[in-house]
Amino acid sequence: MKPLLVLLALGVLLGCEFGGKDRDAARTLLAQHGCGTCHVIPGTPGANGRTGPPLTAMARQAYVAGVLPNTREALARFIADPQAVDPRSAMPDVGITPDEARLLADYLYAVGSGS
Amino acid sequence: MRRAVRLTLFGLSAVVTAGIAAFVFGEFYNLTAIRQHPLWVFRAIAVGRDTVVALDARDVEVPADFAPSADPQGVALYRKHCAQCHGAPGVAPAEFALGMMPVPSNLVAAARNRPPREIYWFIRFGLKMSGMPAWEMRMSDADMWRLTALVEALPSLSPPDYAALAAEVPDRTDALVSVQSEAAETATGTAIGDPERGRIAMQVHACLQCHMIPGLVGKPDLHVGPSLGEAGRRRYIAGVLRNTPENMVRWIMDPQAVDPLSAMPDLGVPEALARDMTAYLYTISGRLPPGRSGTP
Repeated sequence: MKPLLVLLALGVLLGCEFGGKDRDAARTLLAQHGCGTCHVIPGTPGANGRTGPPLTAMARQAYVAGVLPNTREALARFIADPQAVDPRSAMPDVGITPDEARLLADYLYAVGSGS
Repeated sequence: MRRAVRLTLFGLSAVVTAGIAAFVFGEFYNLTAIRQHPLWVFRAIAVGRDTVVALDARDVEVPADFAPSADPQGVALYRKHCAQCHGAPGVAPAEFALGMMPVPSNLVAAARNRPPREIYWFIRFGLKMSGMPAWEMRMSDADMWRLTALVEALPSLSPPDYAALAAEVPDRTDALVSVQSEAAETATGTAIGDPERGRIAMQVHACLQCHMIPGLVGKPDLHVGPSLGEAGRRRYIAGVLRNTPENMVRWIMDPQAVDPLSAMPDLGVPEALARDMTAYLYTISGRLPPGRSGTP
């Protein structure tokens, strides 16, 4: 029961953070960098690619890229510089800054069934 | 009359439901590994188990030349796979096994009470909710019979006899590698293997611990590794390797050779079974027609 409550609180918290401005900024970034051509991202128009894994439950994934324990920092690091996390990863470095990557990490945690 | 029957049935089911609810939510049933089943539950389970095992084991074909046998090769297998839980003459089980519920059977007693076909049955198929794993697909049939022969010989071994055999074991590690070669012998010879055998192989290699796998019953919301329903259709394996049957086999057999950083562990899957698993993954993701094996 307790973890569920914590998760719920987290969801509400992230949900609040992700009203309006941040959400729009994240969506713009995702569109600009074409993330949706490879990934399914819930709540994100046009993100229906099947090349990379679907990002439908990012908040509940145990690992980032099958390699790092899933924390906000790890996810942001992977988004900003995938090869720094795993030199063999097929995920391209699309030139997202660390700050933008953190915004995207928060967005991915907030959307979908994982929140 | 009808009405009375209906009312009685309704009342009865309400009472039963309330009883079950009180039993469960009142925490009357203890799920810990500290408190034992009441004696009558324990006895009932044992009677049911022994009846089913006796019936089921009738189908086991005992090799014509079977005889109880205590040799270092058998002891090598026993020490690697059995002694941790069951102990041996004069040898305690490993520390973790002491706290198990139910306590793993003493196999000297089991051998005195059970015929070889039942011992083999337990080794091969395991026993649900008892902690006894199935060795099906992970141990060669020859080794399962070798172990059966050793277990049946345990009642005749004194602790010093067992210790003497165990002392020879370090020289007998060759007893432990036969799974690979036997799996290769039974390979189907097709490019990727048999989907149904792959499904069972995934179960007995605990793939369910990390992955959701259509066709196997498991936790509905598990995100340790990716869900495997679409694994056969993904562009990449592990996000690094082009998805081809050969690459899938390679990945399953040795994940760190594909990606040294991967959290996917090496489960010691032999090539024949990796091909079967690949066939199953490709079947459930629709890349291979169901019920057939071959190259997609």
